[in-house]
Amino acid sequence: MTINWRKAEFAFLRFWHAVAFGSFTVAYFTGDEDTYAMHLFAGYLLLGTVALRLVLALLAPARSPLRLHRPSLGGLLEWLRTRTGRSPLYAWMAAILLPAIGLSALTGVGADSWTWLEKPHEALSETTLWLVLAHGAIVAMLVYGRRLWAKRAAAALLAAFALSATAVPGPAQAGEPARDAIMAGYLQEARRADPAFPGFSPERGEALFRARNTHNPELASCSTCHTADPAATGRHAKTGRPIEPMAVSKNPKRFTDPEHVEKRFRRDCEAVLGRACTPTEKGDYVAFMASR
Amino acid sequence: MRIALVSLATLALTLASPAPSRADDDDNVPPVRDPLTRKECGECHMAFQPAFLPARSWEAIMKNLSDHFGEDASLPEDKTRAIRDYLVANAGYPRRLAPNATPLRITETPGFLREHRFSEAEWRKPSVGSKSNCPACHQGAEAGIYDDDDD
Repeated sequence: MTINWRKAEFAFLRFWHAVAFGSFTVAYFTGDEDTYAMHLFAGYLLLGTVALRLVLALLAPARSPLRLHRPSLGGLLEWLRTRTGRSPLYAWMAAILLPAIGLSALTGVGADSWTWLEKPHEALSETTLWLVLAHGAIVAMLVYGRRLWAKRAAAALLAAFALSATAVPGPAQAGEPARDAIMAGYLQEARRADPAFPGFSPERGEALFRARNTHNPELASCSTCHTADPAATGRHAKTGRPIEPMAVSKNPKRFTDPEHVEKRFRRDCEAVLGRACTPTEKGDYVAFMASR
Repeated sequence: MRIALVSLATLALTLASPAPSRADDDDNVPPVRDPLTRKECGECHMAFQPAFLPARSWEAIMKNLSDHFGEDASLPEDKTRAIRDYLVANAGYPRRLAPNATPLRITETPGFLREHRFSEAEWRKPSVGSKSNCPACHQGAEAGIYDDDDD
């Protein structure tokens, strides 16, 4: 029985692509505490897939579809001019995507042991997502580009993309929906106690932040741990652990997770004030931090 | 050549995902891998690696979070359970620990005491602050690496 190697290699390439695409998709959507095990599995699978592709490209004989071709800028310009022959874009896409995906996966492996790699890993993965989407669009255009419907669809997609890119959200403090929802909740509670409540005040929040209290001499003020400057990195008074800045301009994630916000108010108001904070105090505090 | 290629491809695809090595030598322990544990237990102090205490110690600590060394560290029941399960599953067998001893502080285990034989004044240095501030001297503490301390 003679094996049609070319067919086998192409079939393998399609299978390989399916695994890569599938594991990237799963990894992208499971990058969360709740689905961490799945994220790890998909990430490691993706890393192995990329490594395998590179190994096979090195070992494959000449003319095999498993080979990776060196991208050429001159070739690309030539092709753009004449539009004949196999597009150099394929070589360029492989040359860009494989390292991007590989690096995303590698920083993920590193982030498992060195947590400072988490932010670079996230940033790289988000960038790689856009590269993957662009890759899909380019391949679609290369395969179907001649058809009129494809040209129209591409134009429409480009317009939609341009429009969404221009709708850039304003500064973090202005209208972060999760934070607004938390504030709205406190406003509702405050209004329940006093229907004529005029609204939160950053000035009152600042006074609350800086006040010297008598309940616990070691933790006399919020500023004892968070320091006098909300934009500075704080320090846990007992353990010395660094505390990320409270100021929203420095730390846009502040006051966006309602469970976390409530937990910290519960613990820290008790520790510093010796009682729970009222909804007014909570709202004032968040308003103050959002203004810094 | 091609047969070698196909064999290699098949072999590679059927191999299990490489799990990170959990080998620990004398001073190094596996890092805290569970994101919930790292987040909740890492807010006020570094999230200590579970290998430093026996399972019974972790059970005792997690049972009393509302009075956690003088602080209220309580959490919702489901999170408490998840963290306790992780800590117990990854707990260690500290050397020279009496079988009925249930240390609540890693700083009271024989291994820690043996490695940290110096003046109390060291702990009060401004850069350190407290015995729970491992990263002050151990650069790789968060990653479970303790064999390269500052001095």
